[in-house]
Amino acid sequence: MAEYPNTFDLVIASVQETQYDGPVLAATLPGSEGEMTIMPHHEAFVTTLKPGTITVRIMGGETRTFSIENGVLECSNNRVVVLL
Amino acid sequence: MASLKNIKLKILSYKKTGTVTHAMEAVSAVKMRKAQERALGGRAYAAAALSVLERVSGTIDTSHHPLMTEQGGKTCFVVVTSDKGLAGSLNSSVIRRAEHEISARDLAPDQVIVIAIGRRGAEHFANRGHDVRIRKENVSDDLSESDLRAITDELLSWYAAKEIGSCVVVYTNFISTFEQEALARQIIPITPLAVRETVAGIRPARGRYAPSDEAPIHPATYLVEPSVDAVLSELLPRLINIMIFHAFIESKASEHSARRVAMKSATDKAKDMVKSYTRRFNKARQASITREVSEIVGGMEAMR
Repeated sequence: MAEYPNTFDLVIASVQETQYDGPVLAATLPGSEGEMTIMPHHEAFVTTLKPGTITVRIMGGETRTFSIENGVLECSNNRVVVLL
Repeated sequence: MASLKNIKLKILSYKKTGTVTHAMEAVSAVKMRKAQERALGGRAYAAAALSVLERVSGTIDTSHHPLMTEQGGKTCFVVVTSDKGLAGSLNSSVIRRAEHEISARDLAPDQVIVIAIGRRGAEHFANRGHDVRIRKENVSDDLSESDLRAITDELLSWYAAKEIGSCVVVYTNFISTFEQEALARQIIPITPLAVRETVAGIRPARGRYAPSDEAPIHPATYLVEPSVDAVLSELLPRLINIMIFHAFIESKASEHSARRVAMKSATDKAKDMVKSYTRRFNKARQASITREVSEIVGGMEAMR
């Protein structure tokens, strides 16, 4: 993603379907230790998620929201995977 | 020579069989398409979930978590078969595989607990005196992952109580419509090696989810919140559930594919039989006409 240096790849997936897969500017997630926002080039990170809403800022100023029950987040190499 | 009526009845019965198998083939074809889509769609998630564990376990020391360490106890086999037959060698190869795993581990019957998903496997192991703890029969094709969570929870509680020491799932891996393979995978305790094998098995050799050649990059350190134990306690049961679910949807895709192929060859065979019996019928009819004519001619000759 050389042409979009200030984004990272986000995948939000449940077993039934992949809810989101693409580059994003920032994502706000309900971590088990409190709400957090992940920006590009976040350090390698693993945490659990609690019920709440994921807000994703994508290019063009748009935001998308996903409500979740629980999940696991893994972030490495500028790629964030959220497993619901 | 068989009587004309007998041959006619035979042709009729083959035609009926052909109609039935043809209808079953059509039904299986629809179910097969759905189940295959589902299995292939589920692979992406299963692969993602397993590779998360693969990456994490490459960096943080996960070996002290109970679900990742060896312990003594019985062995639990999750055997995924179909409820109905007429699917070629599908069920027998899963059962043979499970029996093979049991004998390879040198396990006495009282050291084995069976969880049977699908009637065929349940009946087989119950008839042979195994302890079939959970039987799940008449499972619908679109069973969701959360429906299997009850089984996973039960499994984990036995493991926590040290009643079982390991768990192996035996199922049919879907390779293509014409090719399915019975597989056994150890899901408890989870070992990085088993995870890697499963991930490799999930990804098809070609196409969209084909494996990349690059080795997984393990970040040097992981920031873990709230703690390694808390994250693993959330992640591992989830993975075990996914692996059971994955085995289930793969088996379903395999079942419908195998049945479709079996029904297709049954239909073809029925058509062949109708053809050959029709020929015999025509020959017999012709022979009887010839005989009648020659009788009449013979009679006329005698009257002269």
